[in-house]
Amino acid sequence: MSDTLRFLVRRVVAGLLTVLAMVTVTFVIFWATPTQPARFVYPSVQTLTAWHIQHGDHILRIDRPKTDQYLDYVTHLFRWDFGDSWARGFALPGESAGSKGFPITEQLDAQLRVTLSLLLGGAAVVLLLSVPLGAFAGSRVGTISDRTVSLVALIGVCSHPMVLSILVRSLFHGRLHWTPPGGYCPLSNGRPGCDGPADWATHLALPWLTFALLFLALYVRMIRVSVAETLPQDFVRTARAKGASNLRVMARHVLPNAGLRVLTMIGMEIGTALGVCIYVEAAFGLPGLASRAVFAMSGSTNLDLPVIMALVFVISTIVVVGNFAVDTLYAVLDPRLALGGRPRTGKSAAGGVI
Amino acid sequence: MAPWRLTIARIRNDRWTMGSLIVVATVIVLSFAGGPIASRILGHNGYDQLPYAANITQKPVGPLSVVPALNYSAGMLASGELAPPPKGTPKTLLVFGADGPVGRDEFIRVLDGGKTSLEIAIGGALIALLIGLPLGAVGGYVGGISDAIVSRITDTIMAFPLMLFLVFASVQLDAHIRGIGISWWLPDGVVAEALLIGVFTSFYPTRLIRAQLFQLREAEFVEAAEMVGASRWRTLRSHLLPHLVPTILVWAAVAVATNILLEIGLSFIGAGVQVSTATWGSLLSTTWGTLFQPQTYNSQQFTPWQTIFPTVAVLVSVVSLNQLSEGLRQALDPFTRR
Repeated sequence: MSDTLRFLVRRVVAGLLTVLAMVTVTFVIFWATPTQPARFVYPSVQTLTAWHIQHGDHILRIDRPKTDQYLDYVTHLFRWDFGDSWARGFALPGESAGSKGFPITEQLDAQLRVTLSLLLGGAAVVLLLSVPLGAFAGSRVGTISDRTVSLVALIGVCSHPMVLSILVRSLFHGRLHWTPPGGYCPLSNGRPGCDGPADWATHLALPWLTFALLFLALYVRMIRVSVAETLPQDFVRTARAKGASNLRVMARHVLPNAGLRVLTMIGMEIGTALGVCIYVEAAFGLPGLASRAVFAMSGSTNLDLPVIMALVFVISTIVVVGNFAVDTLYAVLDPRLALGGRPRTGKSAAGGVI
Repeated sequence: MAPWRLTIARIRNDRWTMGSLIVVATVIVLSFAGGPIASRILGHNGYDQLPYAANITQKPVGPLSVVPALNYSAGMLASGELAPPPKGTPKTLLVFGADGPVGRDEFIRVLDGGKTSLEIAIGGALIALLIGLPLGAVGGYVGGISDAIVSRITDTIMAFPLMLFLVFASVQLDAHIRGIGISWWLPDGVVAEALLIGVFTSFYPTRLIRAQLFQLREAEFVEAAEMVGASRWRTLRSHLLPHLVPTILVWAAVAVATNILLEIGLSFIGAGVQVSTATWGSLLSTTWGTLFQPQTYNSQQFTPWQTIFPTVAVLVSVVSLNQLSEGLRQALDPFTRR
């Protein structure tokens, strides 16, 4: 087995263990918090008697031993099945609600699509903006234009995602009427006016822009430093001596050196990005995972535990899978790193926002 | 030259770091002393409601307006507007205009908000340090099984989205902890929020200190101290701890900046301090609504000063704290040459 392959296998196992640990921890924490599951079965009963609670627990299938439930839950997770929510359909006063909850998996898949659209599109916009800006600033270190680019990019990273989302939305939708107010349009749902890639992109343009502004500074700064370090090197001079144009020197010889650093940054910022998604989704009315998780968790009286656990699971899985993807790319780009682990860089100022 | 002298000399020679240090100091002084002084000069405090500055029918007045200093209205006219105030009513100046529908002084609220925000941010950083220092010391200096336990705990917390933990914990938080406070100086809920932020961000100093001690443990001076018979505790306290100060200072500046942003986030989620208590987060979230009900832009009711002043205050503080941290890092590192 080659070293790279061994490294990848080790990463997969570590990732699986992390997810399993997360599921276990959330399972314990959430069962330790006081809730009244029977409230979901009898939403219209004023005071729940012992009979209501017992019967409600039976309907929700949570009167079984906790270990049984845990094993059941974990085995279903491997089939991407999150079970039913505790929240039930509509019930008349005095009656118990229907015996079936809503299947969580369907809702979750739809929310996952929204959040992934936001994350991946946002990351693409960040790269599209930061590579030219970083190359521009890095080739003129110390000048006014270099300072300006760095300062403007810094303002994005130092403001709060919610404030930035609201300001972007007020400007481009409220004042200029350039874009739709928000909401999400799936790639295909057959509804006229909100269907297909064009609607999808126009509805997500502002969230992507906000997302990009928040993360721009880090990447611009990183690419700038890398470009500034690489430009005076001998192989760049050789390339120029061969007659390569400025653009070709930058694109083929200088910028690829920033690739690994950018990749490191992306890997480290996946968790942060999900935290940012909470605010961006809420401000633009996108029904995504991150904001739904906050909504589900902030209910003070009744927590729909199956829904919360599913959301927590998917969110931590995104982080783990994202990190794994970055590590794999690493091992492919620079096999030496598979042996020694990835290089370390500092964490961003936005790191705490999540 | 002694290391501290060298550091101070470097900071004084660095325009950007010196500038950011001055800005940070100014923000702290303004936040803690600005509110009471401004209240004394202007004759009203951040909680006084001035119906003539803003009421249900009237949009809040803008910056630099002079309004009657009455905290009650002289009755309603048939048209739905306020009756003019009695003759001879003294007037008062609203430097940053009025806030929300109740007409409080935005200027004093931004200053008071800075005080509350900084209390939360600095308190959160201190609590994180109180937790992180012993844990990091155990992990990095003692090593072995205790290190493995500490590392696994920090790894698990780090892999989980912090904001979700914060939301969940703040909702479940006991009402007794929320009620701790000392009137204006320490509004209710500040201790609770600092505690939450501190506990859930403590993994960061833990890892930093652990990593630092891991390197230092092998240094000759530690070996020398152990050789002459210094106990582990003594080695840690008088030989290793001084070496951690630079790391902690650099982290602390960034942590305070991050905590300011976290506080805003919690306010937007509705899990922060009471809405009536001014913080930079609550000022912004009363204008723009919470995560669950974001306000939409409305050109008639748009009051830009309510967004601009808190946002500028946050930006200035966070940018200068980050710049200060970067400058400190360079100045405290004995190996940088300039």
